[in-house]
Amino acid sequence: MSDWFTKLKNAKKSCIIDGNLKKIHYDFGDGKEMVEEYDLTTNCVTRRAWRYKKDLKSESAWEIEVGDPEPNYNVEEKCMIREDPSQPFVSRRITKKSLEWRIRNLPYPVDVYSVTIEKETYSLIVRTSNKKYYKKVLIPDLERLGIQLEQENVSFTHKFNTLIITYQKPNKLIEFEKALFEEIKQIQPKNYAEDVNNCKPS
Amino acid sequence: MAASAAAKIAEVRETTRVERIGAHSHIRGLGLVDSLEARYVSQGMVGQVSARRAAGIVLQMVREGRIAGRAVLLAGQPGTGKTAIATALATALGYDTPFTSMAGSEIYSLEMSKTEALTQAIRKSIGVRIKEESEIIEGEVVEVQIERPATGLGTKVGKLILKTTDMETVYDLGGKMIDSVLKEKVQSGDVITIDKATGKITRLGRSFARARDYDATGQQTRFVQCPEGELQKRKEVVHTVTLHEIDVINSRTHGFLALFSGDTGEIKPEVREQINGKVAEWREEGKAEIIPGVLFIDEVHMLDIECFSFLNRALENEMAPIVIMATNRGITKIRGTNYKSPHGIPLDLLDRTIIIPTKPYEEKELKEILSIRCEEEDCQMTDNALTVLTRISKETSLRYGMQLIMTSSLIAKKRKAQEVDVEDIKRAYQLFYDEARSVQFLREYQQEFMFNELEEEEKMEVN
Repeated sequence: MSDWFTKLKNAKKSCIIDGNLKKIHYDFGDGKEMVEEYDLTTNCVTRRAWRYKKDLKSESAWEIEVGDPEPNYNVEEKCMIREDPSQPFVSRRITKKSLEWRIRNLPYPVDVYSVTIEKETYSLIVRTSNKKYYKKVLIPDLERLGIQLEQENVSFTHKFNTLIITYQKPNKLIEFEKALFEEIKQIQPKNYAEDVNNCKPS
Repeated sequence: MAASAAAKIAEVRETTRVERIGAHSHIRGLGLVDSLEARYVSQGMVGQVSARRAAGIVLQMVREGRIAGRAVLLAGQPGTGKTAIATALATALGYDTPFTSMAGSEIYSLEMSKTEALTQAIRKSIGVRIKEESEIIEGEVVEVQIERPATGLGTKVGKLILKTTDMETVYDLGGKMIDSVLKEKVQSGDVITIDKATGKITRLGRSFARARDYDATGQQTRFVQCPEGELQKRKEVVHTVTLHEIDVINSRTHGFLALFSGDTGEIKPEVREQINGKVAEWREEGKAEIIPGVLFIDEVHMLDIECFSFLNRALENEMAPIVIMATNRGITKIRGTNYKSPHGIPLDLLDRTIIIPTKPYEEKELKEILSIRCEEEDCQMTDNALTVLTRISKETSLRYGMQLIMTSSLIAKKRKAQEVDVEDIKRAYQLFYDEARSVQFLREYQQEFMFNELEEEEKMEVN
């Protein structure tokens, strides 16, 4: 199968089960780490995050690829510059059949938006005809597997100040995810509850 | 109401900064031709031709960057342009090459040991050029809103609206960012980039759309297109950091913030070793490039014997910068010992240095320097006055002569004259004593000063 699959297979994996969620940590050994969180009722990824070792700084923060961003406390002190909370932001979700993006805080009517694909960079481009919002959304899932994008898989709706973009999962991706999930089933979780009880405070 | 008006005035003052004139602010370079021959008067430098030529060769050595750990000593009487040559060298090296300037007495601190201070100074003088991907925001400024609370206290609130041809976004600014926005005088119509991690603002120019806002624009105003696409971009940027900065970033858990607070303290040798290894690794991979810079130690005779022996050792390291020292001492005691040595520097270190002598200025050169300073200090002077001032400088010292420029120009202003004349110089000369006259005065009136009734028990030691 694909390079990405073998890479995942060879990565150092560990996992824990927390209630209904199975969390898997992949260490790729080249300074890259990935964490995935699977919902065990739907077998879908609910969160996925990356962390890279940087050259200069000792360690960078987790970058969220799928799911809600980490809540950030006392940003005021740490932050130099950030987008106003009232500005649009993107969050990603993966369902059984499709990849979804929600762009919140977008008040403009639905006929303003256009979503097109850009094949070379594996990304969707969201434009507004009133020139108020523009965003290039990468689809790393497809890029990693090298699956070409198709314009007819893209659809979008607008409701409650939110633009919802849906991309139908290609068959190849569904197959890959199935195979990966079989792989993940094999990893034995460390029993979380037991571990806590066995912890010996010096 | 009055308070708010006062606050407004303060704000206006804040944004228009005055350029201050320092003792060496007229120097713009070494004033050499391409073949490293020194021009007699150029880039603010006058005379001292052979010393400048030597400095030009040192400059070439630094630029080539192959030779590590050489020491250069600028030796000469007070007021012969040692610091001026070092300043010129720094400006000639340019923005990218690290140049650390310190005085010999700076290393004596209660917070860190002498060797630590020296190590930090040495590591501040070595730059590492690294390519790194960083997140930047690039756009045209639509609006800057900075509000201070009505009470005048508390944190300021800032918002910045940026746009590209395709989008527009409101950003919230943190306290430090507000300051740098004010300092950079960012206004609507500017096209800027902001480094998201460090908060560094770079102004690219004015937007073409705003080209007709003003009838008259400064010569250096550059017009650029409004950027396209997204405001936030990932870009590969090349930046130069010093080894010391990398040390600090890695020695603390709170990272680069320590750089701003200034509290760096001592850095563990293990951290340094680790970083040296890392940098060597990057260098082999072609990710980083080492730029050896210059460490300038003024008043080097203030270092003591321990520092000198430490320097001896440190210069042997292949990562060492070029060390330039300056001293105005002759044969004198080495600090921390009872031994005498030329320039107050131990012979073994002197042996490792190349020595550039500076000679006292000729009358012609003095006149040239004084006229450059007059220009720098915005002061018109008649030819006669300049001749008198030159004579005074020759008799007393160049520094005293330079002090008289500003004072006499103020005197001339009081009598509403356009130019400084001999009269004004005379008046300033009478008002302010130079060192020789001050000594003379003390000799005469010693008896009437305080504590003079005490018998002089032992003569003060002066060397």
